[in-house]
Amino acid sequence: MTPIHLFNVVSQHNRWLSVRQAAIAGNIANANTPGFKALDVAPFEAAVESARLAMTASAPGHMTSRQSAAAATDMRTEEPWDVAHSGNSVSLEQELIKAGEINRAYRLNTSVLKAFHRMLLASAKV
Amino acid sequence: MYDPLQAALKVGSSGLEAQSKRLRVVSENLANAQSTGRTPGADPYTRKTISFESEVDEAMGVSTVKVAGIERHRAPFRVEHNPGHPAADAKGFVKLPNVDVMVEVADMREANRSYEANLQVIKQAREMIAMTIDLLRSS
Repeated sequence: MTPIHLFNVVSQHNRWLSVRQAAIAGNIANANTPGFKALDVAPFEAAVESARLAMTASAPGHMTSRQSAAAATDMRTEEPWDVAHSGNSVSLEQELIKAGEINRAYRLNTSVLKAFHRMLLASAKV
Repeated sequence: MYDPLQAALKVGSSGLEAQSKRLRVVSENLANAQSTGRTPGADPYTRKTISFESEVDEAMGVSTVKVAGIERHRAPFRVEHNPGHPAADAKGFVKLPNVDVMVEVADMREANRSYEANLQVIKQAREMIAMTIDLLRSS
């Protein structure tokens, strides 16, 4: 059962990384917009924690909550490195560093996933 | 349900568009840095300024950027004594555009930098999509 859980976590993390990439794209696009405050998504740990505390639907009348998607897109204002005179708090360097981090994490995730996938395929072939 | 990576591509392209419009305004200002009027006392070319604003894309929940407007700069014109000029007034003064070439060049460099940053985001989003698709490739 372990590899299946791993696939789940990896795809969840990748979804979180994609949302973060979209947030950073918004920050960079608005790097010259007066008064724009830089955004970031809540950390992945928080997204996982909130998903774990979700209510279970034990009766058909219970409403289901789409917690994982909501938690992954929880935006918050980040603490800026500097604020320009126009009130803009986007630092291009900071955003590009984060974009690099996202890219690295995404590559790591897909590589791990690929390795496990290859493993499963190898066992299926025998 | 939307794809956040597609949203990132869309936001990046909105940034590219805004910055290229800014570069267009800068090039207009630079090209007309010496454009005076033709009749005595006429106003010369007025420097144009561009401003951006962020716009929330309702469907995707991300903030794209758009050009809020292109306005005329309100700084006073430079004045030069040149009685032989067709635009010289009764005292021989010619109004020159309120364009500061150094400011325009600095603005151009900033537009260039922001354009590059947006391009980098698009490149990375594409790479991430490609990595996901590559999972299908059997080794």
